[in-house]
Amino acid sequence: MPLESEKTKTASGAGSIAAVNPLAADPELLSDFILESREHLTSIELQLLTLDQEPTNAEAIHAIFRGFHTIKGMAGFLDQDAVRDVAHEVETILDLARNGQLAITPAIIDKILESKDYLNRCLAGLEPALESGNLPVPPDNIALLAAIRSLGSNPAGETQPAGPAGDVSPPALEPEAAAAPQAPPEPATAGLSELARVVSQVVAQVAAQVVAEAPAEAPVESGLPADSAEGPRANAARASGARSIKVDTAKLDYLVDMVGEMVIAQSLVHHDPDLAINGKARLGRNLSQLARITDEVQRTAMSMRMIPVGQLFQKTARLVRDLSRKAGKQVDLELFGEETELDRNIVEDLADPLMHMVRNSVDHGIEMPAVRAQSGKPSTARVTLRAGHQAGHIVIQISDDGRGLDQAKILRKAVEKRLVSPEAQLSEGEIFNLIFHPGFSTADQITDVSGRGVGMDVVRKHVQKLRGRIDVISRPGQGTTFLLKLPLTLAIIDGLVVGVGGQRYIVPIFAVREMLKPPEDSISTLQGRQEMAMVRGSLLPLVRLHQRFGVKPRFENPWESLLIVSESRGKQFCLMVDELIGKQEVVIKSLGETMANIAGVAGGAILGDGRVGLILDLEGLFGASNGE
Amino acid sequence: MATIGQSTPASQKVDRRTGKYLTFALGNEEFAIQVLGVREIMGIQEITAVPQMPAYVKGVLNLRGKVIPIVDLRLKFDLPELEYTQRTCIVVVQINGPSGKLQIGIIVDGVSEVLTLQAADIEDTPDFGNGVQLAYILGMAKIKNKVKILLDINMVLNAQEVQSLDGIAG
Repeated sequence: MPLESEKTKTASGAGSIAAVNPLAADPELLSDFILESREHLTSIELQLLTLDQEPTNAEAIHAIFRGFHTIKGMAGFLDQDAVRDVAHEVETILDLARNGQLAITPAIIDKILESKDYLNRCLAGLEPALESGNLPVPPDNIALLAAIRSLGSNPAGETQPAGPAGDVSPPALEPEAAAAPQAPPEPATAGLSELARVVSQVVAQVAAQVVAEAPAEAPVESGLPADSAEGPRANAARASGARSIKVDTAKLDYLVDMVGEMVIAQSLVHHDPDLAINGKARLGRNLSQLARITDEVQRTAMSMRMIPVGQLFQKTARLVRDLSRKAGKQVDLELFGEETELDRNIVEDLADPLMHMVRNSVDHGIEMPAVRAQSGKPSTARVTLRAGHQAGHIVIQISDDGRGLDQAKILRKAVEKRLVSPEAQLSEGEIFNLIFHPGFSTADQITDVSGRGVGMDVVRKHVQKLRGRIDVISRPGQGTTFLLKLPLTLAIIDGLVVGVGGQRYIVPIFAVREMLKPPEDSISTLQGRQEMAMVRGSLLPLVRLHQRFGVKPRFENPWESLLIVSESRGKQFCLMVDELIGKQEVVIKSLGETMANIAGVAGGAILGDGRVGLILDLEGLFGASNGE
Repeated sequence: MATIGQSTPASQKVDRRTGKYLTFALGNEEFAIQVLGVREIMGIQEITAVPQMPAYVKGVLNLRGKVIPIVDLRLKFDLPELEYTQRTCIVVVQINGPSGKLQIGIIVDGVSEVLTLQAADIEDTPDFGNGVQLAYILGMAKIKNKVKILLDINMVLNAQEVQSLDGIAG
């Protein structure tokens, strides 16, 4: 596909190379450029981190080279000179490296990462131009260019006898790599040389793509078992070998909607009373078959929204590297269960809290190498990210083998900040939970990365928004583990379908503590207005759903109705409904923007008979009734 | 592509009121809305009530997996509420909401026909002289001695509608 689009670009470009390049402002080409470059930069970062571990990994060097090379080609084509120049300099360095004339050092990787960040900034700056049509001035890159150049010149001279270091002869596939340094970009040069440059770039790009395709094919043909290759290589093969297409998320959502409708229609047919006549075994069999298939289709449709959590984990790899170098600590990051799949939206919303927790671990959890040596630990610390399934949930675990949480210090700080009274007797778990309190931070010094006082409370808020929970386990001197428990998907919840009058509502099951039919003498009133129910020895406020929603109920007396004991912001209360109808997994639908902020309603869901039921937001319900 | 894009608004400026209309009844009056905005017409169905909404918002409905709000046009126009019958219809229209297109169902007494209206058929709304704001009425059409009121359904449901809904929600 990309090959095709390159060709069309050349065809239309050939006639218009003259003075101003009209293609440079073409929003479609530009957005393609941004999208493709971003993808390349992402894979470049991954490969760089691999290279950081094994500086001689030729595969990784090649992959990074190809990435920058493609970006350079596209940028040159679109007159993105700043991007092109940086990509070009990096490419020169990488070219030296892959010809064995330059050894990859952490300093080089740092610079390349920096360049990658620079390119990302350029791309971000370009984005608004898509709408306005005004191309922005790219960020200053002179210092960066010089820094990259100096990397190449110094060690190249010292390192090896490789005589003609000056004119590196690149492989025939990329004629342009050699041509560009000799012909610095001059906008005023005649059309001919410009044409030559464009053509050579396109040729190089096509060649690079051919090269890129090749490794994907190789393992298939050779028939070698993939797991025989070492880690990073297998990774690279998987990345390029995974056949995938891009689909608009709106289309996907529509498919999921339609499949949901199909399941409903199928179940309506299946339970049609006219079909429940004896002696229709074949019909029954066929219907069951249909049910199985629709079930399977639904599961497949839902799974399309899922992406592996590995992408998220890999983002932290860069963070750990940068942080540990900055702080002078040695940290190994280990990832497990990267293939565990999570809803796309959850993965996106999880990025910030995860980064924050990893930051916390490296910054506060892990000691300096000297301190570690004193306490008999290996000087290189270990941060582990682990994802897996557990009882219908996804559990993500962030562990470090650092100093652990200091209970006494947390308690002292909490008392200082008047979060707890000095006499309070707290359990270990309660003390650890204090770190999730707004404005709490144990770092004595404020560092660049964390310790600004905003931290774990934001993490917890994020996680709760995703309907998950977070726990801490910590042993002094042995490390800290954060446990995140998240739902598989945001799109579906387990709900109790309850009835009030003629209406049906869905109560999210995670909010339900218990359900009961209260005895008459357990109901009391406060000042004749506020009702309370005695449940297991504690008095809980009673909220009548029919009153809140203005529905005529079937039962006016609490002892005839059903009470749902629920918790909202740490306080329990009882919700009064007529009856429990059943339990159902429902797909959450928005009611649209005009009905977005109704107190007590979280959304809508399609019930088994195709009608809409409202999903209750218990926190909102209780909050609103409290406000009265 | 570009030329088509330019010509459409130009011709609309001449008289954007001409074109095909779907006519429906509310009480004794006949109304018409532009067919372009109509997505589908269906019989009355069971609607799920939503709390804290104005009376004319009857609730929400499942339209092939999408939850759409339903407005009773009678109540919206302050006409007396009527029991729904076999003839009662829900017309699903697409309007421009504050952030993108959205579909809304409107309940009408019954759908009549689709008419093609020429510029000559359409008259401007008469000035009632009492400061009545009728921004949502595009004009009047006289067809076979019956007056059809041309509605700008976007204005009917959107401008005042969304504001009032927001006020309630906030």
